[in-house]
Amino acid sequence: MAEHALVTGPLPDRVNHLWRYTDPALLVPPSTESAGTPIAAPPSVELPQEAIRAGVRVDLLDRAGILPPELGMAVPADHGVFEALNLASWNSGVVVRVPPGATLAEPLIVTFEAGAAPLIGRLLVLVGDGAEVALVEEHEGGSTGSMVFGVAELRVGAGAHLRHVLLQRWSAGVRGHLTQRAVIGRDATAVTVVGSLGGKLLKADVGTVLDGEGAHSEIIGMSLGEKKQHVDLHTEHRHRAPRTTSDMDIRAALTSKAHSAYTGLIRIEEDASACEAFQKDRNLLLSPRAKAETIPELEILNNDVSCSHGATASPVDPEQLFYLQSRGLAPDEAVRTIARGFLEPVIARVPASLRDRVAASVERRVLRLKGANR
Amino acid sequence: MADHAALAELNQDYASRYGFHDPEEYLVKAPKGLDHEIVQMISRYKDEPEWMRRFRHEALDTFHAKPMPAWGNTAMLGAIDFDDIHYYLKPTDGQERSWDDVPDNIKQTFDRLGVPEAEKKFLAGVTAQYESEVVYHSIQEDLEKKGVIFTDMDSGLREHPDIVRRYWATVIPPTDNKFAALNSAVWSGGSFIYVPPGVHVEIPLQAYFRINAENMGQFERTLIVVDEGASVHYIEGCTAPVYSSNSLHSAVVELVALKGGRIRYTTIQNWSTNVYNLVTKRALAHEDAVVEWVDGNLGSRFTMKFPCVYLVGERAHGEVLSIAFAGDGQHQDAGAKMIHAAPNTTSRIISKSISRGEGRSSYRGLVKMHRGARGSKTSVECDALLLDETSRSDTYPTMEIAVEDARVEHEARVSKLADEQLFYLQSRGIDPEQARLMVVNGFIEPFVRELPMEYAVELNRLIELEMEGSVG
Repeated sequence: MAEHALVTGPLPDRVNHLWRYTDPALLVPPSTESAGTPIAAPPSVELPQEAIRAGVRVDLLDRAGILPPELGMAVPADHGVFEALNLASWNSGVVVRVPPGATLAEPLIVTFEAGAAPLIGRLLVLVGDGAEVALVEEHEGGSTGSMVFGVAELRVGAGAHLRHVLLQRWSAGVRGHLTQRAVIGRDATAVTVVGSLGGKLLKADVGTVLDGEGAHSEIIGMSLGEKKQHVDLHTEHRHRAPRTTSDMDIRAALTSKAHSAYTGLIRIEEDASACEAFQKDRNLLLSPRAKAETIPELEILNNDVSCSHGATASPVDPEQLFYLQSRGLAPDEAVRTIARGFLEPVIARVPASLRDRVAASVERRVLRLKGANR
Repeated sequence: MADHAALAELNQDYASRYGFHDPEEYLVKAPKGLDHEIVQMISRYKDEPEWMRRFRHEALDTFHAKPMPAWGNTAMLGAIDFDDIHYYLKPTDGQERSWDDVPDNIKQTFDRLGVPEAEKKFLAGVTAQYESEVVYHSIQEDLEKKGVIFTDMDSGLREHPDIVRRYWATVIPPTDNKFAALNSAVWSGGSFIYVPPGVHVEIPLQAYFRINAENMGQFERTLIVVDEGASVHYIEGCTAPVYSSNSLHSAVVELVALKGGRIRYTTIQNWSTNVYNLVTKRALAHEDAVVEWVDGNLGSRFTMKFPCVYLVGERAHGEVLSIAFAGDGQHQDAGAKMIHAAPNTTSRIISKSISRGEGRSSYRGLVKMHRGARGSKTSVECDALLLDETSRSDTYPTMEIAVEDARVEHEARVSKLADEQLFYLQSRGIDPEQARLMVVNGFIEPFVRELPMEYAVELNRLIELEMEGSVG
């Protein structure tokens, strides 16, 4: 019987630093005996009344119907082999259209639930000029062996304001690859929050293209790794227009044998003058067997800029641990307190309307932390 | 791998096949391209021991087997044509260039720097001898009394085979990378230094003190071994531009600092801008040892150089202090690597780069904390200055941390010349060009401060030359 592979192109070369710390072979879905894409349920969408009144439209993506022309523009097939797989074979997709000028207080929530068959999710968000919207993209469920391939494309019109949370809360044993690109226009603002809290292996590529003059973007990341969890996060800001500004703030706290790899790129294109871009990456190693790799990158092709980046890795301060324990906290609780304190500055940067939701997810995860076995 | 039986046979009928009795004759005729016969010729000409001959042949196989690096400026790397290169020319014999062939801009730079006539010709490759015999002799005598060995690598191998063989390629094996393999196969020249236990060499040792120096070779090979509690400062190259007609230069530099030893290695690379400079430099720092690389990159068309320290003994310390200046058409891809493989090791990297015109400078670095490197610390600081709209700067640092109680800090900044600084200086009556120069000099001051005085003076003058006409 013929085997049908979902991945058709060659796997990424591991000489490339973006794949140095994660073996792409671990993300190749098993071949199927029948041709065609595996079956998966569509994402569920929580749409507040307010959004319906404001004219927000949510449509499932349907291969049989007319596909939006924007599909595949921000993340085309040549982005990478897993993005090509996604564009060719997505099986769970939705498009969200926010009309110009709509201002929403409550977030929209799109949830992708992993299952037995590979979930190949596709999210397209089109935010009209001057609109203000918050959107939570949740990745949940699954069991050992489940695989998820997600692509989110977000187009943000002139003067619009998008807050986007990408929250990965898979069950233990789930592996996945998530790619997100926001392309934001003149004077638009995008704030992206990436939280990696579950699963066995996540490779994520999250970025914003500052495409219009005066645009501003922030990417805020947090991950908590335990056991043998492996999180490989890439974030990038591409400044294509003058007077654009950006900031990245990424933190990872790691226990047990968790492994975090982070690569972050700031690129200022030739014509993008008078830009400012900043980046920080911090790692807290809570156990002797945890590992962290970090590569913050700058590519600056215009001289009229102000750019900086910083990265640190440090252990738990034994004095802090001692102090907390001397105040009566059990060792596990002392480590949790330090982890909370470490992540608090990035949680505080999550836009207010989404903060409680993110903080609650992080807290549920923090409660599972244990002090290091020494 | 090489078939050694076949290689041995290859040696048998050497005289009848090549018939060169006068080594100079065949050297001048050494064809372009690279194969086992060329390697055999080099080794035979140098009358090397069997182990070195085998080493070269195996390295050549490694060179052919290894792919080109798939990272970095692959377009520049792809432009190298290995078949269009002479792999061996003895500098003393191969000098057929006359002073008239030296490009005018290089001659002018010599004049502006005030380089003496004899030294100019040496630097331009017109003569291979730089008449510093008197200075050199008195230094040699002093060193010999202390048991310090300071010689070129070829003589080192002949006269001190035991020390050389013990440390040779232990820091950088030929399998390390394609260019290290190439150097291992065809190396020639470079310096060999051994400092016995407890001896401190007071004055910096400079490669170009040596007469008959082959130190400006294409594939130079340097080995410095500093025994327990000893110290040395070695200076490679010089600030004045070095004109070379060879388009590919690929050196290997190995440093070994034994327990409590100290090595400082200073380089000011100023190859002419036709040169591809692809260098592997690495040090082993044992217990309580200190290794410092002071590395300046001004010349060449394309440089890839990432001085490295393996901190293999407890409390070892490594340091890299570097500057790069990339003018039109140049790409300085420089950086540093610190590998922490023992507890309580410390390291520091300070990198400054300046890009002018269409120049591109990249910082590429690695800091690795192995599991056993408990209590280790590192800090990395990169500053880049962009002088023109068309200039480019990249920062690619990698940090890999596999130990809990290590401290790693990295910071980088990229900026243009600060308007307010220029405005302030101009308001004090300093003309715009002078103001720009002052800001740039201030920017690289932490590097210049670490150089011996005569080098610092020359470097400042060179930067001045590079900055000329940068306004308007």
